[in-house]
Amino acid sequence: MISLLTRALMMSTPLLFGSVAEVLAERSGMMVTAIEGIFLLGAWGGFVGAYLSHSLFIGIIAAMLAGVATAALYGWICVYLKQHQVVTGTAINILALGVCSFFHRVIFGVPITPLTVEPMQRLPIPLLSKIPVIGPILFHQNILTYIVYFVVPVAFYVLYKTSIGLTIRSAGENPEAVDVAGINVNRVRFSMVLIAGVMGGIAGAFYSIGYLGMFTTNIIGGRGWIAFAICFLGNWNPKGALIGTMAFGFAEAIAIYMQSSGGGLFPNELFIALPYILTIVLTVTRKSFNVPAKLGVPYSKEN
Amino acid sequence: MNAKFRDLLITSFLAILMGLIASALMLLFLGKNPIEAYGILFTSVIRDKYTFADIFVKATPLIFTGLAFAFTFKANLFNIGAQGQFYIGAVIAVAGSLLLQGRVPGGLALIIVFILTVIGGGIWGAFIGVVKARYKANEFLVSMMSTYVALAIMNYLLRTLLMETKGEYPQTNPLDTSLWLPTFIPGTRLHIGFIIAVVVAILVWILLYKTSLGYRIRVVGNNADAARMSGIDAKKLYVVAFFISGALAAMAGITEVNGVQHMLLQGFNTDIGSAGIGIAILANANPIGIIFASILFGALKVGGTIMGQMSGIPSSIIELMQGFVMVFVILSYFVRSKLEITREKRKLQREVQE
Repeated sequence: MISLLTRALMMSTPLLFGSVAEVLAERSGMMVTAIEGIFLLGAWGGFVGAYLSHSLFIGIIAAMLAGVATAALYGWICVYLKQHQVVTGTAINILALGVCSFFHRVIFGVPITPLTVEPMQRLPIPLLSKIPVIGPILFHQNILTYIVYFVVPVAFYVLYKTSIGLTIRSAGENPEAVDVAGINVNRVRFSMVLIAGVMGGIAGAFYSIGYLGMFTTNIIGGRGWIAFAICFLGNWNPKGALIGTMAFGFAEAIAIYMQSSGGGLFPNELFIALPYILTIVLTVTRKSFNVPAKLGVPYSKEN
Repeated sequence: MNAKFRDLLITSFLAILMGLIASALMLLFLGKNPIEAYGILFTSVIRDKYTFADIFVKATPLIFTGLAFAFTFKANLFNIGAQGQFYIGAVIAVAGSLLLQGRVPGGLALIIVFILTVIGGGIWGAFIGVVKARYKANEFLVSMMSTYVALAIMNYLLRTLLMETKGEYPQTNPLDTSLWLPTFIPGTRLHIGFIIAVVVAILVWILLYKTSLGYRIRVVGNNADAARMSGIDAKKLYVVAFFISGALAAMAGITEVNGVQHMLLQGFNTDIGSAGIGIAILANANPIGIIFASILFGALKVGGTIMGQMSGIPSSIIELMQGFVMVFVILSYFVRSKLEITREKRKLQREVQE
């Protein structure tokens, strides 16, 4: 049970990075529908960086750069050229797949054995990890999981307790007011997309170098979209994202556990599909949503 | 030809061209000569009848998934789940065919299977519309997630109920030839599925632009408030639109299973859903445009594969080309709206001067 929860928390880590990234951007009015592509290029950038430099730290930096570059393209087209966010995201997700599979080949050729890096080690925190039950769950994780402990409170604090947060939220609710206050709405939105790109890149890197130690083009397999969904289900709030993420991380940990232990009565596929079924059920049953009023609507002064 | 349509043609053409040039430049990273590579790309697709016909074979499922996205898009709804609806269609097509073969004469069996596939895919799609209408569920999310559920269902059936009698691989028994969609050009794989796709695209165009249902769908898409005030029941339209959209995507299932693979196996055509969205974007969601955009993507697919075999260029260049073309097409939307605004301004100025 403890190992299951430890694993659940581990699998929640990238989803939490991704969903909080999505919350921050969507609060400013920008859906980041390129999140799947950002995850993928983050995973790839992280792997390439870590493989070539033999340093996981460089890998993370490369992942952040890959994520932010993808987000910048998305932000430029959606914020400044005011194109449709869903449509643009789809295009960029396909481009991201093309870029990583093509350049993977350019850099590595056709390797005979799969390329691997040593994935991140767990860093047990002295003393704390010795606490019964919660010690091994909370304090026997890798560094990215420790970082994510701070992401939710920081995001919550910034969004609700600072004037920057007020500006961000207003850009999504009432951009005209932000504009009247002399703040450039598009710059706020573009910045939030870039921040989402950095965090999404880290999330992607978690899958390649934080956990598996390798890269394949289907490594993300829709998890970017799950982060996207968690943002909705968590009602555009970092706390909601935390709760949603724990549910998904738990579902994923159960799926991995059941697959490795043979599954018993139920077919494996049921557990693979579980997070997605969960999303549908939660989307359908959730009654009230607090959607940012101008989510997905480009802002221009003329109107 | 009006100015708007001229803009559309010119900017789309330039966007495709720039997308291809951008991916050509990427070939330099491989140390390949892009001009030579594109030479192979273009000459290879017309090198023989079989290859050329294959363009249309590859275009067939893309027409369906492109139409599936475009149809709901006209109602300002997002069906991102065409891939899953295609899987459901493929499962029904193969199950129905295996069940009916040898029991019912081939032609009749094909018609029954086709109807079953369309209804099954439609119901799978309509579910999205129902939860949208009844519970205000976000259709974008639900359709997206339904794809992964459909994939799991297909994979489960492939290793249990539908698994081949040999029991070696997660795939079905091959279909009896009486249930193959007939080819209509000898010496090629081009089957009547392509003709069905073109006819369906034309029917969708008629449905959207010449019937009252299509009119209502477009009104809901353009201005939901106006639609409600004029007494259009948007909720019912959500269900209908998603039923039709799901049915369209499922048709790709029968054309691929009965027309190309003649069986169902794991992991085939994994990208036609997203390519369909790209095609709908490229065609500005116009059903007739989708036929041509699908043929272009089909040609890229066939040419890209051959290019890979002949000159050692990885076939991922295809995704790169598709991605770049789509991004440039979106940029062309921006250019077009700018052109439109400039034209309107000039018109106003002229009127003022007069």
